[in-house]
Amino acid sequence: MNLRFRRLISQVVFFFSANLGFKIEGIFPGLKTGFCYPFFYCHACPSATAACPLRAIEIGVYEGKWNWKLIFYPILIISFVGVISGRGVCGWACPIGLLQRVTGKVAKKLKKKQPFLKKLGQHRLEPYLRYLKYIVFIGLVVVTPILVGFMFTDICPVGYLVGTIPISILNPGEFSPNEFFYIALVIFILFIVLIFTVERGWCRYLCPIGAMLAPFNKVSKYQVSVDKDQCIHCNICSNEACPMGIDVPNMERDPECILCGKCIEACPKDVIKFEGR
Amino acid sequence: MKKMSVVQVALLVLIAVSFGELVFDFSVYEELFLDFNIYDDVHDTIVSTLCLSCIKLDPVSRLDFVFETGNGEEHPEFVWKNLTKGPLFIEYRSDVCKACDDMAPIVKDIFNVSFEKEETLYKLVNYSGLNIHFYHINLDHASQAQKDSFPIYDKDNIKGVPMFVVITVKYDRGTIKPCYTAAYGTLGLDTDEERRDLLIDMIDDGVKLYEQNREGYKYP
Ligand code: SF4
Ligand code: SF4
Repeated sequence: MNLRFRRLISQVVFFFSANLGFKIEGIFPGLKTGFCYPFFYCHACPSATAACPLRAIEIGVYEGKWNWKLIFYPILIISFVGVISGRGVCGWACPIGLLQRVTGKVAKKLKKKQPFLKKLGQHRLEPYLRYLKYIVFIGLVVVTPILVGFMFTDICPVGYLVGTIPISILNPGEFSPNEFFYIALVIFILFIVLIFTVERGWCRYLCPIGAMLAPFNKVSKYQVSVDKDQCIHCNICSNEACPMGIDVPNMERDPECILCGKCIEACPKDVIKFEGR
Repeated sequence: MKKMSVVQVALLVLIAVSFGELVFDFSVYEELFLDFNIYDDVHDTIVSTLCLSCIKLDPVSRLDFVFETGNGEEHPEFVWKNLTKGPLFIEYRSDVCKACDDMAPIVKDIFNVSFEKEETLYKLVNYSGLNIHFYHINLDHASQAQKDSFPIYDKDNIKGVPMFVVITVKYDRGTIKPCYTAAYGTLGLDTDEERRDLLIDMIDDGVKLYEQNREGYKYP
């Protein structure tokens, strides 16, 4: 079984386990746990099994009340998977990663057809855009909930995708938009545009969970490494394979690597491999 | 390479001990974590409660009074008992809830009561010459019996807060029984004035039903 297929199976299995919360009257009671997801998914989804880690942190810091348990709980869950596999969870488990696996195919084609998108991806400022996700995490998940009670999850595009839309469809006429609805709708549209135009655009630039996981790539047990002595610098891995736009031949525990293994499959010299150390 | 393994093992041990402490309360860090079960807390207050701001929607309020409880359970004891003296108004909320914060001043003003948001309050208030049992229940700090009453009155099975409930009595096939209505969030309305008017309509309807049927109500 090739790597691509194994990863697909893993993503599908995680997608279903993240959605075991639905109830089938008389057959299945629905599994609602007290865990937080170690990836980006929303408890507002009618079939959600666990809580969004961001919401738990936001509630923990809300208005400076410092509920330490609610702050540490999701951080510890994410730290655990982070120490084992870094952002591997992004490549192998996150349902929004699975979604972007699909939209990424369109983004890849668009990049080939629209030279300006390619140029944008190679712009010298592009690497700095990747810091946005840390600003989103610190700013909207920690600082604004403390200072003004405004939370990232109030306008989260994933909450909109897996919460607002299915709930509106399943309960026609039962709900009306609240004060965050329209701003969340705009952000949701931008999110859709982003993931259809930039491969893994959300993961690269904006995902707060990606921001929490990224530093763990520096210490994680599993990682992707390149044998630099054997590398012929054909750059197929970077230009053709890597969905995160990483300079693969020169990477060393790159915080952006999601361990998808696409570069491993693409390398003509077989000098890239998964490593557990 | 060895150094990295030491770092990884040290981090995993630290994470495992802290996580065990959080979930199972080993009391290793007693001072910091006190006696508090995080798993149940996340389950009850995040996963099983629909966060109206996460879905960016408010339930449309239908203010019909019904007998059938939200989860099919009986009305709690305190409701049966209190109905002998007047209808009940219950405001359910949680600590972190923008809509709850928006609605609290309206409720305080209608009933002329004051409370902190973390507080759980019961008061017998006078409303248009009639006693109303006023409850402000913060689900993050409420007793188990109060928490258990939340799904009973979750009329539309929304599981969302704030939830405003009026419980009164009404005629049903030969007997006078408890009935109730519930409204959620900012009631799907834009201004405080509209929200206030709707809450008052809801309470007035409950009061009217109570006045019409109180004579026939018997506490079992
Ligand atoms: S960066 Fe965020 S959205 Fe992307 S795969 Fe990781 S957790 Fe999921
Ligand atoms: S460097 Fe390789 S494993 Fe890492 S994200 Fe890019 S293609 Fe995937």
